[in-house]
Amino acid sequence: MLRKIKDDLVDIARAAGEMMLDADPSIDHSDTKKNSSDRVTATDKAVEKMVQDRLTSTYPRFEFLGEETFKLGDKLGNMPTFVCDPIDGTLNFIHGFPNTAVSLALTIHKKPFIGVVYNPFRGDLFAAIKWQGAFLTTATGETRRLPISPVPKPLTSLNDCLVAVEWGPQREGPNWALRTSMSQQLMTSKAAGGAMVHSIRSNGSAALDFCYVAAGWIDVFWEGGCWIWDVCAGWIILEEAGGMVASANPGDWEPTLEGRLYLAVRGAKPAEQKGVVKELWDMMGERKFAY
Amino acid sequence: MADINLQEVHDFMIEIARKVGERITSATPSTGAAGSKKNSVDLVTETDQAVEKILSTSLHEKYPTFSFMGEETYKPGDKLTDAPTFILDPIDGTTNFVHRNPYVAISLGLAINKSPTVGIVYNPFTQTLYSAIKSHGAYLTHFLTPQPQPQKLKLPLHPPTPLTPLSTCLIAIEWGSDRSANDFAVKSRTFTKLAAADGGMVHGLRSLGSAALNMCAVAAGEMDVYWEAGCWAWDVCAGWVVLGEAGGRVVDANPGGWEVGVDGRRYLAVRGGEGQEGVIREFWGLVEGRFEVGG
Repeated sequence: MLRKIKDDLVDIARAAGEMMLDADPSIDHSDTKKNSSDRVTATDKAVEKMVQDRLTSTYPRFEFLGEETFKLGDKLGNMPTFVCDPIDGTLNFIHGFPNTAVSLALTIHKKPFIGVVYNPFRGDLFAAIKWQGAFLTTATGETRRLPISPVPKPLTSLNDCLVAVEWGPQREGPNWALRTSMSQQLMTSKAAGGAMVHSIRSNGSAALDFCYVAAGWIDVFWEGGCWIWDVCAGWIILEEAGGMVASANPGDWEPTLEGRLYLAVRGAKPAEQKGVVKELWDMMGERKFAY
Repeated sequence: MADINLQEVHDFMIEIARKVGERITSATPSTGAAGSKKNSVDLVTETDQAVEKILSTSLHEKYPTFSFMGEETYKPGDKLTDAPTFILDPIDGTTNFVHRNPYVAISLGLAINKSPTVGIVYNPFTQTLYSAIKSHGAYLTHFLTPQPQPQKLKLPLHPPTPLTPLSTCLIAIEWGSDRSANDFAVKSRTFTKLAAADGGMVHGLRSLGSAALNMCAVAAGEMDVYWEAGCWAWDVCAGWVVLGEAGGRVVDANPGGWEVGVDGRRYLAVRGGEGQEGVIREFWGLVEGRFEVGG
């Protein structure tokens, strides 16, 4: 049953991909949501409509939670629910920068069970079913199990890590201050009190960031403020690749899908994963995101 | 000096880049034997060094009178001269490479009279090639396609939209391997200023890990601006030609410098489009301080 649902989600994701490839964002006028950097296009809305129509006709008793139809106060229930972000990385999409994806997931009892993330511009399709592994199918049609390196390198400390941090649409206030100062601290030399990470990567799509951590191309993704639809599919893909998700705020090892606080770590020995989480939490000290 | 057949140089560069690409994609990189350069995050691998040797040997055999400037054989004090010079980075994006992250490129450039004249930037993982010869246009070629022939596209990929205001821009930035002192502070404060609500409020900042590919993304129009300091001539020479032929230009990362050399180590690259000068001035207005690198 789960496999059939996954196959349907893959079909729908590929159809969404075609719509994204056909769109011309330079003439697809985008509106702003909270501010000029928080944008939505007509293609976002059209893709979500297509996804919702197809899913509700095939699975009429399942719930649907989508970015473009979400209303503040809507909550994820225990019933099987499809969670959809039609275009994750809308800014990239508007600029024609090819790091953008459709993200589709199924949750049961508020836990992700199936995830599909598809970037039609690069042809990368990430997919996972709970207990059945995570896979990447590339533009050549080749499918590989995740993580890409079957024996992951040790995750000894943040000093060896490639860390994904996004700048987000919120550009003022305490969350912004926390984000920008943590970026600097992560990069800063150890002598000056930083973590001296290998580097920071900002790709512009949370869903793809989760998938890149699952693949092992990035070690850690620290994010607050994005939403369940951005991460739901990537979450199960990451877990099935041996990764884990803690909260972006210190002390919480059991973050919820809707919590908007995510610290994703690639597959490695559990003690190593926890070590890196604690190292990052220690850098935050008393500071927290508030969303 | 006899006229150089630039088309022949261009075609030969592509041939050797494609051949050596497989060496990169099949490597299992670690920094173990090769190590790090100025600090624990300035990485180099055995593959970097092996690939540079293969490329430089091939280039020297075919063009024995040309000079050569490669990342792995550079010594402090080496200077770019007017002589035709191959400027080469065997793996741009070594940190990505070490993490098996496929955003890396071979960057092969030819400079004549210190001016970038031919440029090849090739990502062997995705088999995408950016290429340009001065005055002959810039192109993106996809070798991995369902069609029998590679797909070749002229750059920029779409008719350019106006660049101004800066707040509509997607900007490429890199944190680099310098993590202390003035230049790191200039970068870090400027990044915040560019994105802040009370600063540039730009659409977004992107850090992807390859200077050469960043230059090409700007050339293609996928990003609008790339601001960088601390990298080297071999990181940007090839992308410089691609960008210039796609209507873009490169000025100094420090405010006020309208001219910068390929070996200047401080670059503000902007795509083609109406308002290029205006957006450069707007950008410079947000830079917090001045870089010391490059002298």
